[in-house]
Parts: sequence; structure tokens; C-alpha cells
Amino acid sequence: MNDRLSFYRKKNSPIHALNPFTKLMLALALIIYGLSGDGLWTATIMVGLVLLPLALVAKLLREYIGVAVRLILPTAGFMFVMQSIFIPGGTTEIFRLGFISVELETVQRSYLIASRIFLFISAFVLLLLTTHPSELMSDLTRRGLPPQFAYVIISTLQIIPQMQAKAQTIIAAQRSRGLDTESSFFKRVGLLVPLAGPLVFGSLVEVEERAIAIEARGFTSTRPKTFLRDIPDTPTDKVIRWALVIFILLSLAARIWQS
Amino acid sequence: MAIVNLTNVTYKYPLTETPALKNINLQVEEGQFVAVIGPNGAGKSTLCYTLAGFIPHFFKGELSGMVEVAGIESGKSSLHEWVLNVGLAFQNPFNQISGAKYTVFEEIAFGLENIGVPRDEMKVRVEEAMKLTGISDLADRSPYSLSGGQQQRVALTSILVMQPKVLVLDEPTSQLDPIGTREVFSAIRKMAERGMTVIMAEHKVEWIAHFADRVIALLEGEILLDGTPREVLTSDLLAEKGFGISRYTSAARKARTLGLWKRDYLPVTLEEAAEGFAPSLSPERRGE
Amino acid sequence: MNIEICNLHFTYPSGVQALRGISLTIEASEQVGIVGQNGAGKTTLVRHFNGLLQPTSGEVKIGDWDTRQYSVAKLASRVGYVFQNPDEQLFSRDVRTEVAFGPKNLGYPKEQVQALVTDALEMTQLSDKTETNPYDLSPTWRKMVAIASVIAMDTPIVIFDEPTTGQDAASVARIANVIRVLRERGKTVVTITHDIDFCAENFERVIAMSQGQILLDGRVNDVLGQEDILATTYVDPPQLTRLGRRLGFRETVRNEAEFLAVLHKQSL
Repeated sequence: MNDRLSFYRKKNSPIHALNPFTKLMLALALIIYGLSGDGLWTATIMVGLVLLPLALVAKLLREYIGVAVRLILPTAGFMFVMQSIFIPGGTTEIFRLGFISVELETVQRSYLIASRIFLFISAFVLLLLTTHPSELMSDLTRRGLPPQFAYVIISTLQIIPQMQAKAQTIIAAQRSRGLDTESSFFKRVGLLVPLAGPLVFGSLVEVEERAIAIEARGFTSTRPKTFLRDIPDTPTDKVIRWALVIFILLSLAARIWQS
Repeated sequence: MAIVNLTNVTYKYPLTETPALKNINLQVEEGQFVAVIGPNGAGKSTLCYTLAGFIPHFFKGELSGMVEVAGIESGKSSLHEWVLNVGLAFQNPFNQISGAKYTVFEEIAFGLENIGVPRDEMKVRVEEAMKLTGISDLADRSPYSLSGGQQQRVALTSILVMQPKVLVLDEPTSQLDPIGTREVFSAIRKMAERGMTVIMAEHKVEWIAHFADRVIALLEGEILLDGTPREVLTSDLLAEKGFGISRYTSAARKARTLGLWKRDYLPVTLEEAAEGFAPSLSPERRGE
Repeated sequence: MNIEICNLHFTYPSGVQALRGISLTIEASEQVGIVGQNGAGKTTLVRHFNGLLQPTSGEVKIGDWDTRQYSVAKLASRVGYVFQNPDEQLFSRDVRTEVAFGPKNLGYPKEQVQALVTDALEMTQLSDKTETNPYDLSPTWRKMVAIASVIAMDTPIVIFDEPTTGQDAASVARIANVIRVLRERGKTVVTITHDIDFCAENFERVIAMSQGQILLDGRVNDVLGQEDILATTYVDPPQLTRLGRRLGFRETVRNEAEFLAVLHKQSL
């Protein structure tokens, strides 16, 4: 059940074999390029010509599209519609619905924003689909990310489902004491204390004990850490990363030169 | 030479009036397996935290007297040094899962990563430790998908793998059924035989009698009794002060008043009880 | 008020078949201990008694109520349920308010709530701690607060889920005393426990479960006597039962009094 918040899907593919940092750079490069160009279709083309083929190579095309449709499309789509309708400022009216006028310029700008969001999130989704979270964090820690930072991210991801399970138990315990959780809204506000109280207090105790537990396992030890997972970092990775750095610099330069 | 050395140790938690430990004097020899018994609130956990250096390096409050464990003296050292030499596992298994790892194998390796053990050695040590506590088959499971008893063994293994000189355990079998308890006790016994010093707070008297070398009874922050399992666990004082005692001991104590227990000691284990009661049965019954 | 369970099956959404055909009647005023290893289905079973879980198939009736037709809040007037971990339910500023929460929810008149709370606090030996914040108490006493908060609901049926886990000898004795008082008042008590000694000493009827089914159900001495079947549930008989058997006692003994009586008889 811990896997609910981990996108990772194990496959044997060239993308999976890349170093996590390389994949992170790739995601960043795509995002920076997508954001730096003004072209209406830039972000869309990046998704179509880069992310989709990469997902195919990673043998995760179906999973990638699944996440995109279920998770990202609703968000981006919602933003697109809302902005198109409610943000004024265009001159070329496409159609009018009562007092709402929809202009071409607004629609274009909304599409630009929505497609960039789509690119932004889906680039990271591809990273997470092909990279085990432990590997990502181990690799970043090895490159100098503070271990505390990595710990907070990973443990939060893992603990959310545990908190949900605990909240379920608390609700069950209070319902067993006659608390009616199926009542009106106003009554429900009053339910907050019996439900949130134990959750908050329990968490305080947990935080202290967990701090002792990880301390007992040398978490803040001053010795240089080692890593169980051997995270490959091949010459290919290094070449790709340099290429990406050059690509990022060029796209930023182009952006500055244009303006 | 004693590996644990406590002299006149008194400790008060912050914002409290009465000391949780009062004038504790305790010496433990290397490789000894010491069980600490006592009612809840007697100071067992506080003693464990003190031995593991979390008092005074994690919990503030007032500590007086001398605490020296594995050559490290409190007040003259950092928690890192303690952690490298003294291992601590405690009761609630869920809060001991680091949350940083996705499999049991990684979870157990976490401590070794932190103290910089080379990868090859790490793998060997994790596998060996899992074998010892009987959880090899859980290696690829998520620590969160396990039962309380399984998590408790993972927590214990995660500390064992760090090979501390002194192992401090605060009720490490509370979530285990009788079979799991026996397995954990015998794993800990094995560690003691390899030279690890073990101090374990625990309620389960029958298992203590089987496995421990020495028992300390704590009451209201003070050492009430200190001796061999039989001396301590059969003491009349324990029953008077409301400690948990073995059913064998209390049945034999009653039987003695009825003239049905004729030994000059009381039993703690099934074997001792069976042996001691057998002569009380009439001869034709004995063979049945 | 009887608990009637007819051919109960339950499968979790994950596909785990936790109960496979349980049929069981618990009469009013009975004291029942349920034993079995982790994963045997004990908690899943008793969570059907107050509607926290609904049967996948089969039927659970509490008196004349079919649990499928009543909400958990409604069933709480008939079935009190003491959860294992008190920290998952305590939220009030003081013990008295905490204990009054349940009876208030059930809509008892004010004076009766007060009387029930006072009585429950006395039974759990909390009378000197009524103004304390539950979280200033030790875990052992927090457990007693959780027990009091259910006792005060004055339900005809009370369920305890692993009441002795993590408790010391004094606390176990207090819990045994609560169960004794409930028995004297004619309440039905159903207790899940790992602690077979506690079970043998406090319950007349014992049910042993394994893999979602009832393997043994009967008077405590008869169940403890079925050593072979009991072993398949990974439940060791109580200490004195084992000792009696080792000494060749013909009867199965379950507690100290019985052990000494048989010992006395056989020593003649």
C-alpha cells in the first residue's frame, strides 16, 4: 500500500538505466525550453516529439498516457477553460455567450499556459515513472543534497498513506462511541475535534519517537555516508548531461537575444 | 572489566518534580544478558535511554552521577559516538520504521549507510542479521505492509546489524506472539554468546528466566533487586510490590503453604515446576 | 441481548478473504474470549458486531437488529467497542469530559450521564484523576480512560480488542476486575486476546480462530484440552494447563485454584 504514492514502474529500458540526475536534468531542460519560447505550440510539440517517444522507449507509454489523462489533463484542461472564459483582454471575438465573450487572444494565451503546465508536470511524471524514489534521493544526496532534505521528501510520501489509515481508525473508534458522522454540515464541524485531536497528538509522540529511532541508526552521523544501491553513472550519462547543459544555455541565450 | 558503569545516577525529566531514576548503581560485564523488570512507570524506559546516551544528549533535564557505557562517558561525548557503540530499539515498532526506505532490506541497511559501511560488507551484514532474527523472507516487502510483530523484528534487526558493543532493548517483544517471542529471545541470547552485552526491559518473566543471565527489578526509579533470574523472579518482594510473576512461581508459593511444594527454592520455568511438583504426586499417579 | 451470526463471509477490497463462513451465537450475559494468531480474523469478526464492517455475505444480528440496517452510531447504543490503542480516540481536555463523550452521544439525560461517568471512573480506578488531561497520564492509565469511556455508555454488549497488550501486572489486574464487574452486572463481554493465561482466567467460553474460521468453541477447559487443534492456531495453552499436562493430570486445569485442587487430590 506504500506504493500508492510512488509512480515508479520497474522495466528494463535504456531510460530506466540512465542515472537519476541525468533524467532530472532532462526534465529541467524540457521545462526550461518549453517556458522560454513564445511559440504557441512549443510545449505541445515537446510533449509529442520528446516525452511520448521517451515514454515509448521506457516501455511505459500506456502508463504515461494513463497518468496524463487521469491526473494532468483535468487540471490543465480546467485552467484552459476557466482562463479562456473569464480573463478578458482580447480583441478578436470568437463567440459570445450572454455576457461572456471569448476572444482568440485569450484562448491562445490560455492554451499556452495550460500546455506549459502539462509539459511541466508530465516531464516530472516520466522521471518518477522511470526512477525509483530511493535511487533519486540517494543519488541527489551523494551529489550534495542535504540528507535531511531527502529524508523529509521520502518519508512524507510514505507517511501520508499511514496517516490516512490512522484517520480511518480514529473515525471508526469515535463512531463506535456513538459519534454520528453522517449528520448535517453544522454538526460535522463539531466532529473536527474528536477526529483531529488524536491525529495531532499521536503525531507529536510519533515525531519524537521517530527522531530517536533514526538518530539511533546514525542518521546525523558525521561519517561520510555510503549507499546500498549502486546507482550507475556512465560516460553516456555524462555526455547527455553536458549536451543538456549546452541545450539549456542555448535556449536561454536565444530567449534573451530575442527580447 | 565492566562495560556498563553507572554510579549514583539520578535523572529528572524537564518540567517534572520527582526523579525518574534515583541513585542507580549498576555494573554489567561484557557479554552479559541482563533483563530489567518493573511495573510501567518504574523507570525502565528512562534507564534504557540513559544507557543509550539519549539521556542527556536528546532529552534534556537534570542528570547527575556518572554514566559510562562501552568506554564513553556521558557529558564528555556526542550522540554519534554513543550510537556507534550502543544500539537502542524500543517498544512501538511502527515509529521505528525510518520511512526513508521502500523495502525491508533497504530499511535494515539504512543505519549502515549512515555510518558509512562499504556496500559489499553492508549486504553481507544485512543478510546475516535477517537470518539471525528469522526475517529473510521479508527482504523485498515494504516495511509498512508488515504486521506489528514483523515490524518489531525489523526494528530489532535494524539495530543488530549495526553490531553495537552494547544492545539496549525496551520491550522488544510486546507485539509478538509466544512463538515470535521465543525466537527473538533466542536470537538475542545468541548475540550475547558472541560477546554483545544486552540490557533488555521486558515483562515476559518466563522467557527471561529461560534466557537471561541476570535480572534487575526496578521500582519507582530505584533498583529493588539485582541477581540471578531465580533469586530475583522468585523473591517474595516481587509479589508484594505488584510485579508480574510467573504462574509457576505463584502456584508453587501457594502449594508450599499446603505442603505440596517441598523444594527450598521456587520454580520460574515449566521445567523447574514439573520437576519440583512431581515428588508431591502419589506414586501410582506419577507414571501416567 | 444475543449476538447471532449466520454464515458470515467477509472479503477485504484488497481481495483478502478474512472470514470464511462463521456461524455463532453469543447469548446475553456470556463472557467470551477469542484467541488465534495475527491474521486469523479475530478483529475482522468483532468489527462486524457494531457495524464497522458489513458482511460480504451472511448476516449479523444484535438482538433484533440486523447490522446492515443500522448505522455504527446507532449500534453504539447496543455494542461498546474498546479499541486497542487509546491514543487513537482520546481528545478531551480532562478525563471526565472524555468519558462523558460516549453517553452524551447516545442521548442519555444529563443526570444519567453524570451517574454513568462517575460509575465508570470508579470501576476503572480513575476517580482521583477526573480533572487530569488524558495525555498527562501514562499509557497504562490512558488505556483505563479508553475503557471507562466505553463502559460509561452502559451498553448490553462490550467488546475489548487486545486489552492487555503493553499493560503491566497491576493494569492487567484492573482490567480483569472491570470484566468481573461487567459479568456481575449481566453484560455480554467479548474479548480478543493474545494472552492465553488472561483468557483462561477470566472467560468461561473460548473461541479459537484460524484462517477466518472457528476451529474450537466451547467451555474454556474443553477448548484448552484440545491441545492438537489448539496447536494449529499457534496458541500455546496457559502456563498452568501445560504444567498440569506435564504432571499427568487427567483433567485440564486453567487457573491456579484448579491446579492446586487437582494437585491436592492427586497427592493423596
